[in-house]
Amino acid sequence: MFLHNFKYSFLTLFRNKMLIFWTFAFPIILATFFMMAFSNIEKKEQLDIIDIAIVENEEFTNNKILNEAFKVLGDKNSKEQLFNIKYTKLEDAKKLLTDGEISGYLLVKKESTEVIVSTSGVNQTILKQVTDEIIQNQKIMEKIVENETVNGIYNIDYNKIYENAIKTINEAEVRLENVSNKNLSYTMIEFYSLIAMACLYGGILGLSSINEVQANMSNNGKRVQVSPVSKSKIILGSTLASYIAQLIGLAILFIYTVFVLKIDYGSNLLLIILLSLVGSLAGLSIGILVGSGFKTNENAKTGIILSYTMFCCFLSGMMGITMKYIIDKNIPIINKLNPASMIVDGFYSLYYYDTLDRYFFNVISLVIFACILILISIYSLRRQKYDSI
Amino acid sequence: MKNIIEVKNLTKKYKNTKAIDDLSFNVKEGEILGLLGPNGSGKSTTINCILSLLNFDSGIIEIFGKKMNTNAYDIKEKIGVVFQEVAVFNELTVYENIDYFCGLYIKDKIKRKEYIEDAIKLVGLEDFKKYYPKQLSGGLLRRLNIACGIAHKPKLIFLDEPTVAVDPQSRNNILDGIKKLASEGATIVYTTHYMEEVEILCNRVIILDRGKIIASGTNEELKLLTKIEEKVIVEINDLDEKYINDIKKQNNVDSVSYNDNNLVIYFKKGKNNIVSLIEYLKKENIIYNKIYSMVPTLNDVFLELTGKELRD
Repeated sequence: MFLHNFKYSFLTLFRNKMLIFWTFAFPIILATFFMMAFSNIEKKEQLDIIDIAIVENEEFTNNKILNEAFKVLGDKNSKEQLFNIKYTKLEDAKKLLTDGEISGYLLVKKESTEVIVSTSGVNQTILKQVTDEIIQNQKIMEKIVENETVNGIYNIDYNKIYENAIKTINEAEVRLENVSNKNLSYTMIEFYSLIAMACLYGGILGLSSINEVQANMSNNGKRVQVSPVSKSKIILGSTLASYIAQLIGLAILFIYTVFVLKIDYGSNLLLIILLSLVGSLAGLSIGILVGSGFKTNENAKTGIILSYTMFCCFLSGMMGITMKYIIDKNIPIINKLNPASMIVDGFYSLYYYDTLDRYFFNVISLVIFACILILISIYSLRRQKYDSI
Repeated sequence: MKNIIEVKNLTKKYKNTKAIDDLSFNVKEGEILGLLGPNGSGKSTTINCILSLLNFDSGIIEIFGKKMNTNAYDIKEKIGVVFQEVAVFNELTVYENIDYFCGLYIKDKIKRKEYIEDAIKLVGLEDFKKYYPKQLSGGLLRRLNIACGIAHKPKLIFLDEPTVAVDPQSRNNILDGIKKLASEGATIVYTTHYMEEVEILCNRVIILDRGKIIASGTNEELKLLTKIEEKVIVEINDLDEKYINDIKKQNNVDSVSYNDNNLVIYFKKGKNNIVSLIEYLKKENIIYNKIYSMVPTLNDVFLELTGKELRD
């Protein structure tokens, strides 16, 4: 009986065009739009290579740290190239600046190093900041050398010190690079929210499975109710079919975003799957609760689920990451109770943090959320007869 | 014959309105009982209460000698129900729909397959097995609805207005199918507001109005309840009021009505009142288009008992 009901529930779900659209197609369409919209935004936010000039004088040539640092930052073969550098005479540098061909130029003097710009802007600020940073490091090195001299070591191998200094700077850049990889882009938060939405849309499938067994909700429910099969067996079969259909939809979304849209969800596949399973269960439980607890027609119930899901996703940052931060900062309890936020936060913590405490907190929260909703639904579904149908 | 259904003092209220008012009746094994009444008379509510779909305020319902309740699966497995509204899955084919609902009763796949084929044959859907409900006409959809309700060969069948809004061909097919089910030994409770169907199908009829039984018995017994024995209908254009009053005064005439150029005369006794009427029309030089005689129908019984038409 269980298999019989499961088989036909599964067939019914996969042939229902509306359900297929909302649970399978809609998240994929939205993912595509997200990619189109946010990838452009991110591209715009990426730093352009800045055209600069360096006055090639004796002071610059002798300043090995500056020399080496700008050599690295201007390396055209490096992915990390920040500057497009022209080594020129002072007059040429001035002309290039006047003609607007460079954002600024570097003039190394005996006493100081000057960054000359004609206007203020992002590129000019970056040039100034980077130069200041290198000079700061240079001073640290000089201080080390000075200290070493004071300590009575006179046979100083300056080249070695410079090499060490450059190595230190490079290592610092490597560390910076690692951290920047962990900096989540806006797009990732949007995609986490999208997956949360896809999980919660399982509610529509859950609703469908409950409606089909309730005599006061559907004509098929009347037939099921007069049959010699317990309602719980039918619900179990159809709910499991809904859950599996939901997971298939989610798997398709993952495959599409990973292989077509090239989204990187990180390497913790098992934990990603666990969170998706639990998130989908939470979504399904919303549908079961709405299906069993609300006295209105199926279309209205579907509307309730869609609106609730979209609202939860909005709060969790799907329509703008700022909203998530505002809620987290001002009314954190809302996102603690919001299943979409729990899913988003679970993915976020999995990706961002080294420990799994926060991830498992979200997983357990989602399980508790689903259990509470299912228990309320069971209480409501225990009713066997109706006052009106 | 033993009683298959016994309903005693059934009462169902919606707030202060009694949808069923102290209803008592029984259904005997092998009979086709017609529940006849206009829309809102309580036919569907009665069936839903019998099937334990609806809560009711008071009364006792026994089926196959046992008290009916929602968990009485031993009773439910012998019952088939065809609801007034079509109850099928739009995503499943004709065959799959019947298989799904039949599978709720029959676990043995081989037996089920045989039953499904029988049901498809009974309702004449052999050529539509792979069709989806949306591809079927209203009449064919009703036939599928019936097949889903009776495929498991139940001993007791409830048919709640199964022929509403169907074409004559499908209606005949459905009525033939029901007769066949009865001939195979099923007990049938048939609700309708089409008196013709009741007269064709039912051994016994219960007429309901406002949740109460206003009459019950065989067709013949019910017709004896009416004062009239013959109804004559004459098509006359623009008949003067004077003639209507004249006809009313004639012997044996119970009542006369004149609507839409149709003069309807109800005679108390006899079956040959048409002759005297024709003589009167000739004498008065009244030109008529058509004249015909009818014996009273259940609608006339209902009209006389309640003052309104069954289809009101």
